[in-house]
Amino acid sequence: MKILVLNSGSSSVKFQIIETDLERMNAHQDLTLAVGQVEKIGLSDSRLVLEVPERKPFQDYREILEHRTAIEWVLRILTDPEHGIIDSVDEIGAVGHRVVHGGEAFASSVLMTPDVVEQIEECSVLAPLHNPANLRGYYAAHAAMPDVPHVAVFDTAFHQTMPPHAFLYGIPFQLYRKHHLRKYGFHGTSHRFVAFRGCQILVWEREEKRLITIHLGNGCSLAAVDHSRSIDTSMGFTPLEGLIMGTRSGDMDPAIIPWLMAMEELTLHQVNTMLNKHSGLYGVSGVSSDMRELLEARASGNQRADVAFRMFCYRLKKYIAAYAAAMNGVDAVFFTGGIGERSAEVREFALSGLEFMGIEVDPERNQSVTDGEGEITTDASRVRVLVVPTNEEKTIARDVIRVLNGVMPEFTPPETIT
Amino acid sequence: MSWELHRVVIVGGGMMGRSLATKVAQEGINVYLKEVSTESVAVAKSELDQSLEHEIARFGLTNAEKKAIMSRITWVTHYDCATDCDLALEAVQEDFGLKRQILRELDRRMPAENPIVITTSTLSITELATQNTHPERIVGMHFLYPVTTTRVVEVVRGQLTTDQVYERAVEFARLLGKIPIKVFEMPGFVTTRAVLPLVNEAIHIVMEGVAEAAEVDLALKMGFDFNTGPLEWADRTGLDRVLNWMQHLYRESSEPRHRPCPLLKRLVRAGLYGAKTRRGFFEYDENRHRTDRLPDDRPRMA
Repeated sequence: MKILVLNSGSSSVKFQIIETDLERMNAHQDLTLAVGQVEKIGLSDSRLVLEVPERKPFQDYREILEHRTAIEWVLRILTDPEHGIIDSVDEIGAVGHRVVHGGEAFASSVLMTPDVVEQIEECSVLAPLHNPANLRGYYAAHAAMPDVPHVAVFDTAFHQTMPPHAFLYGIPFQLYRKHHLRKYGFHGTSHRFVAFRGCQILVWEREEKRLITIHLGNGCSLAAVDHSRSIDTSMGFTPLEGLIMGTRSGDMDPAIIPWLMAMEELTLHQVNTMLNKHSGLYGVSGVSSDMRELLEARASGNQRADVAFRMFCYRLKKYIAAYAAAMNGVDAVFFTGGIGERSAEVREFALSGLEFMGIEVDPERNQSVTDGEGEITTDASRVRVLVVPTNEEKTIARDVIRVLNGVMPEFTPPETIT
Repeated sequence: MSWELHRVVIVGGGMMGRSLATKVAQEGINVYLKEVSTESVAVAKSELDQSLEHEIARFGLTNAEKKAIMSRITWVTHYDCATDCDLALEAVQEDFGLKRQILRELDRRMPAENPIVITTSTLSITELATQNTHPERIVGMHFLYPVTTTRVVEVVRGQLTTDQVYERAVEFARLLGKIPIKVFEMPGFVTTRAVLPLVNEAIHIVMEGVAEAAEVDLALKMGFDFNTGPLEWADRTGLDRVLNWMQHLYRESSEPRHRPCPLLKRLVRAGLYGAKTRRGFFEYDENRHRTDRLPDDRPRMA
């Protein structure tokens, strides 16, 4: 079945057409037929890019003021006799939507019934920048394709299996009750895919294994996946918690925030942007938020680039050991995301000294894996460490198939405390 | 949005015009910013650059966002660009003759249904519009400085403003992420009318020798949880502008409570305009930071 996967932001829509079904999924043979996006929605110079394997990328510009016309434009180009890849919109069997926040309502992907859409609306208070944009994409796609099923796939859903002792914060309990203030975690689609695919490569039954999945991209997070359930993850109520990222601080003493607001007389907006856009690798190094540029600066002797790099790896290392402890041990560690897939230096530093817990990196293997799947530990290593490129769009397409075939694994969240 | 907004012309690259242009550009709308000459464009441009750099240093903006803002602003020295603008804003000083002349220039060039916004706090927009061919498309918007962060804007209906034009101004306010406060034209509207007597009264307290300026400010600031005391607010706004507004208010209302305090007049006559001249009620360095804060007026936790 051809599935349209949509990731709608406030001013952009990313899309893919993926051909998949239960057989292809199990054989890891899903086909990505087209990848593209519409940028600068709401402006007069919106751009559409379409990439089809073995063709020159196609670009078009026009004025696109809202998501509805953006989706119509996408469908028109996809069915264009010259640039398109399908003859008619009817060939699209279903649509998968990335939705950032499913709150405590969604622990797995679901068919978007009116009730479900309403519940997603209610989660907007938790993700005011993302959920409304995701829904705008849904309304637009639903208007253009009202007769096919639409499925929502949440960034938070995979982590809904965390137990309360992992997801609650040490603050007054009534704030959890009143505002649903708790750890949700993000990148769930990626962690789930990587856990699944990593075990597939190792020919393991993932229901028996303790895994740490590490997603290092623009945002960075890791998850403890115990017997195929996420039991802890480093991002929290928002994607700011946990690891040091390109421009985000990750964990820090929360008392710094009111202190800084008072002493520097910063506004809410300023302190928010400080933590989200001026911090992390960029803020510490003053060089770049991009790991490649940071590594270049470090190689040429830049001290702050070096310390930023060390901080990044050190924090990651602590989390790896902590998550091994959370699961009473670990069988495999999977790296993914731009940095996780390509930076041998980061992997080497973050795993150095972890021989005590059974991780033995093979330096040559590690160096050789910079593109695609591969193992980076020695044959004798008790814990196996793999690089597993993520594919969130593919996971969304597969979830559409799972939901439509009634084989979406049901993760039951642990009992909540009231 | 029922009405499409792609290009906006802002007349006046002063503090207010630049702040307004920044906010509009931040929302992804292209701006023509009109100044009188290439020399004044150069000055305004470098001041805009400085204020954006300052905001970056305060973590409120990133380099990439600054670049995007600058790229959306086109600096011009003529009115011809107005012909293809969906909305015009005039943002020059509170000078009746000057504003009226700008309105005529814009009115001649812009399609009749496109709104022209006057940013005034004390002048009558109806009176300003009388010589225009289309006085019904003139509407007032009183932005508070800095436009990038203040949450409200007063949207002012003149005697002749049509509902459609008024609604577009309200829509524009929402587009900028601001809460529109709907007001009918009366000098000072809500904000200026209420704040000027407060400032004026604080100046009277100083003049009468009841308390030192720094302590008057501190008492009001700490006592009512204001971000700044009224005297520092006046210094930062510019005492010349504050006096100008008071005089308009007094002229229109003839109320004794709107009569500018003589101490305010004395400072303005002496050229002590506040932060921009580095001296007003208080003293400032070249970056507009106060240099004479009382020990009790320093930032602290709790």
